[in-house]
Amino acid sequence: MTDLTEIAEQIQSQARKLLSSDEADVVIGYETGPRGITRPFFAYKPDEVERLTWNDHCSHNLVTFLRDWKQPRAKGQEAPRVGIVVKACDARALNVLLQEKQIERERVHVIGVVCGGMRDDNREEQARCVRCAERAPVVYDTLIGEPEVVPAHAGWAGVEALEAMSARERLAYWVEQFERCLRCYACRQACPGCYCYECLAEQVDPLWVDIGIDFPQKYFFHIMRAYHLAGRCADCDECERVCPVNIPLSLLNRRIAREITELFDYTPGLSPDEASPLTTFLPNEELPL
Amino acid sequence: MTQPADFEPRLVGFLCNWCSYAGADMTGTSRIPYPANIRIIRVPCSGRVDPLFVLKAFQEGADGVLVAGCHPGDCHYADGNFHAQRRYSLMHRFLDYMGIEEGRLRVDWVSASEGARFAQVVRELTKAVRDLGPWNGHKAGRQDGTSSKSEAPT
Repeated sequence: MTDLTEIAEQIQSQARKLLSSDEADVVIGYETGPRGITRPFFAYKPDEVERLTWNDHCSHNLVTFLRDWKQPRAKGQEAPRVGIVVKACDARALNVLLQEKQIERERVHVIGVVCGGMRDDNREEQARCVRCAERAPVVYDTLIGEPEVVPAHAGWAGVEALEAMSARERLAYWVEQFERCLRCYACRQACPGCYCYECLAEQVDPLWVDIGIDFPQKYFFHIMRAYHLAGRCADCDECERVCPVNIPLSLLNRRIAREITELFDYTPGLSPDEASPLTTFLPNEELPL
Repeated sequence: MTQPADFEPRLVGFLCNWCSYAGADMTGTSRIPYPANIRIIRVPCSGRVDPLFVLKAFQEGADGVLVAGCHPGDCHYADGNFHAQRRYSLMHRFLDYMGIEEGRLRVDWVSASEGARFAQVVRELTKAVRDLGPWNGHKAGRQDGTSSKSEAPT
């Protein structure tokens, strides 16, 4: 595996090249904050690129920030061009956005980094990285690091454990989980797939989910969010990572992902041309209902 | 499972204007009896039935939901029911996974001439939901606005 500092240096030199040649107005990457925590960093000038870093705590899916860079910064200007550092899971999310025409490909310079697996605060490999079978980004302009062979998909362990229960037990399980939900919408904000200007959960007319924080509102908000991501979720697990009360949101997304894989043999984000199975259909097909 | 003897399921039916709603009409004009448990909502097409409608029905206290449209290939708008089919192909099992039993949602095709079939579908769904009992998920958890104050696991 390529050394982490070496990767950081390559990210820096690429970012410097993009910013000094005016190929990008901003490069979105990671820096180490004052308390030693890795956080997103936006480099606007070539002399800021020194702050860009790479380590095994680069958890954030930076693709989320691209939705803030679609509009021109000022009237009469062109929309900004962005350089962005992506891991394998982020690259899938990027592909989903490309497929949905949310991003203009030519305005984004993708610095793909072969990821060695990210670690959580306890220095353990994150669950998404344990089950990740491809460590190299599927879309990039510059690739940093050598793609390596990693063990195959670790299966659907958490999902299957829940499936073994009866429906009533599962409902009890979800009541327990969603009772904690604060409806802070961190899951939605962190999700690259959630880019609606006005979220259904905040719409007042029609009022789909009211403002209450009792179980039903939270329960249906999360079912709705998972279903909106059906066939689009890139399995980056950001929703679960940012949840302040540790709700296992990936169990929802992965349950749908498995169904999509089984029914349609489709993995979201592998190609920018292939639409989600829920937005298309085949003539005269018959599906289990 | 034992149910309260007086349990009458509340069902919501989303019927497409062109086939299933006309089919339900046919049931009536043919004087075929079917359970009065179903409340019918007419929609332009089964493709109009956002899965959110189904969720909202359960949130508002429905015990079961029926979504019915034209048979595949017969859609008034050519392909609306194929879109519906894709959407609902995941829905049953996902709802079941979330604790809303699979039998509570039924997606079926009923044409305008299938009055007897509509009655049959409603009878089957009513029986299935009656056997499952009331769905109390919309009343689960604390309802006093304090539930977010519970402790997060450490």
